[in-house]
Amino acid sequence: MKKLIACIFQLCVCQVYAQYEFFSPKEAFAIEVSLDNTSLKRLPVYRNAISSLIISGDYIVGGTSAGEGLAPFIFTAALSKREMHSIVDMDNIIPGQRSIRTGFSKGANKTFYAGTLPGNKEKAGGHIIAVTIDAAGTPVVKDLGIPVAGEGIFSLTIDTKGNTLYGITLPTGTFFSYSIATKKVKTYRNLVPAAKDLQLFAEYVLEPDEYICKALTVAGNGLVLGSAPVNRMFAFNPATEQFEFFKKEIPDVWGRRSLGQIESWAMSANGKLFAGNAGDGQLLEVDAVNKTIKNIGKPIMMPQLRGLAFAYDGRLFGIAGALPGYAHLFSYEAGREGFKDFGNPQFKMVAPGIEQGIDWRGFQLGTIASSEDGKYIVMGEDESLSQLLVFPVDAAK
Amino acid sequence: MKRKNFLHVHRFLLALLLWAIALNAAAQANITEKNIRFIEYYGFPGGNSAWDDIGYNPMDNTVYVGITDHRDKVALYIYDPEKDAVKLKGFISDLGRLRPFQWQAKIHSKFVAGPKGEMYFATDGGESREEYLMDHPKGYAGGFLMKWNPVENRMTNLGMGMQYESIKDIDVDVTTGNVYAVSYPQVHFLIYDQELNKLKDYGRLGSAHVPRMIFTDKWGNCYYVDWRQRLVKYEKSQDKLLFDSKSLPAFEGTPGEHIITGITAFAKDEKKGVIYLITYGAKVLAFYPQQNGIGKVEDLGGVIDVPGKQRWNYYVPNLNVGNNGKLYYIIGGHGIYAKKDQSLFVEFDPETRTQKVIYEFASTVFVEATGCDTKDKDGNLYFAGKKNAPSNADKGGNLAELGGLATIPFLVKFNPDKTVY
Repeated sequence: MKKLIACIFQLCVCQVYAQYEFFSPKEAFAIEVSLDNTSLKRLPVYRNAISSLIISGDYIVGGTSAGEGLAPFIFTAALSKREMHSIVDMDNIIPGQRSIRTGFSKGANKTFYAGTLPGNKEKAGGHIIAVTIDAAGTPVVKDLGIPVAGEGIFSLTIDTKGNTLYGITLPTGTFFSYSIATKKVKTYRNLVPAAKDLQLFAEYVLEPDEYICKALTVAGNGLVLGSAPVNRMFAFNPATEQFEFFKKEIPDVWGRRSLGQIESWAMSANGKLFAGNAGDGQLLEVDAVNKTIKNIGKPIMMPQLRGLAFAYDGRLFGIAGALPGYAHLFSYEAGREGFKDFGNPQFKMVAPGIEQGIDWRGFQLGTIASSEDGKYIVMGEDESLSQLLVFPVDAAK
Repeated sequence: MKRKNFLHVHRFLLALLLWAIALNAAAQANITEKNIRFIEYYGFPGGNSAWDDIGYNPMDNTVYVGITDHRDKVALYIYDPEKDAVKLKGFISDLGRLRPFQWQAKIHSKFVAGPKGEMYFATDGGESREEYLMDHPKGYAGGFLMKWNPVENRMTNLGMGMQYESIKDIDVDVTTGNVYAVSYPQVHFLIYDQELNKLKDYGRLGSAHVPRMIFTDKWGNCYYVDWRQRLVKYEKSQDKLLFDSKSLPAFEGTPGEHIITGITAFAKDEKKGVIYLITYGAKVLAFYPQQNGIGKVEDLGGVIDVPGKQRWNYYVPNLNVGNNGKLYYIIGGHGIYAKKDQSLFVEFDPETRTQKVIYEFASTVFVEATGCDTKDKDGNLYFAGKKNAPSNADKGGNLAELGGLATIPFLVKFNPDKTVY
């Protein structure tokens, strides 16, 4: 009888606590990337927001953003060993830089290209960098110079052949191309907001990083796609060097078109393009041939859709939401489940000194990437002390 | 039949309690049932608990407590030891001029005296709708920093911490009046500069659970812990965070969820220059702060050692230091008890590192206590206590943390050296 009462009581208690569940598959894990004042291989406080992420074989390659006056890092972490592997302090490569937020564009010979944003005191501008991973798993960073003097590099992509980089600068929003072979830079001011646009942004108290395009992509037909103020989608044709704006604006929530800003892209195995709108967190399907946009909808209530990554099984995973709320991991399957909100991931972190494992909850997730075989999804945090959160795709039911 | 059984058990527990008190009284000539008193609140029938929201104001020798219905109402009580009287000063929503959409479910932080005798505290959402409804009409706007002026009987709303976030604990730099705070659930460390009305966010320091306690030293530096239970000091002179290289001592086998929760209680012995800490892994520690850098930590052992029970598995969210230099704390609560359905009132001698159980209480008498470092000028120590209500009591607001049982709050006054009656 006592046992029965105890069981019923336990059940009641469990039900009280089980108001929500975190996404915590047992196969998932967190990698401790950041920890101040330690002899372990870790990144120090305020220099570790994981703002660029790609996976090359067993190595997770990360680029960080730092607080003002501090320098970012390029690092690698080993997926199989679930631990940090190697760290490169960007202050030793290109002093004065603060952030690597463009993501990594994969070129020929497993070279990853990214752009930097300088700190406030650095007037020269942001650099293009080329990152390769050597045989020991250490990032090797090469400085390819400043494409636009006095400007930081806010977004970057690469053409399908791996010959040319395309980017947009901050704060003016200048579009540029960079030939990897000749190092020749061409700049275009077609996307720079007009005076009336700037007036609109001033009315809404928006800063350049809130309206300049955050992410670019290259479609299967070779067009470079991205957003332009105010709330427009553009296509740049490298062959003609012409810009074309889509006839219809980026889908918006009524009254909030000033917030339209593309911040993520992903291409499915069959070449379909998907974009994330920071403005209100809509997932968009973009047709680069007909230049149309289909509004798939919002996975959660909050603005921002910071990252997208396809898994091997065709599911699109993404990160929706950000401060002042929390990021949610979601998936999207067209024609099947549609959106699924996994909420906050909370994975076990095991490392020297915490061998028993601790739970790490991902509140602010800035980046997401899939492994080369599409079987793992890796997420990078955007915090003062940021970590990596990893799960096998098959564990996301 | 069931009710009859319950009454039978109830009588048995009561008898056990009286026997335990008598036994202890006989064993210890100095501490008897006259050394402890439970003081009831009035005027808030729905109030069911207090959290760490208790504190002492040395300016007028008073003790402050916040009592909550754990839903949307929090009462401010002030106890005057000279008059031996509790006074209900009002409800936070009215005193702090909050609108209904700025509802607050509890004060989780301690009450802290500022440099001019004002009392500071912060508010908390305290329920699941806080964390997940956000900008829904029923969602939580965020926790506020507040200041009570006892001379003018006036509350000043110092504004919100982070949007949608509760404020779990605060402390005050007694030299500047700057308020230190930690947010829930994102574990951000915040500093509010009253003079400039500036709130600076030093970022996230924790993992999946928010360590509940921050504390300061006499120079106004502030301390917290990271997810490895390493001390993190806000070094005031440099305006930066210092992370200790080592974790605080823990028993072997302490689970990760106990490590990440850090420190549950502290109390200062100013004469000895020591701050005593209790961890969520049930360690008693002596911390010797220093003006610059992180000071030495000494492991004083466990809070208690009950045969057959893991040494890390005790819950102690309270701590006081008597004028006799000994530590006093109550073990039990949140489903973790040294003895089934009982709380233990323990005296810990830091010199000999030994514990002595001075009272044992049935959960219907005293189930859990919160409160740190709350001592009046006569050496009386205070805790915010609660007891499980009889099963037929209609208190509402049952606390999941206490097994869904209704609780009744009261103020605990204790003095190891003299009677409190």
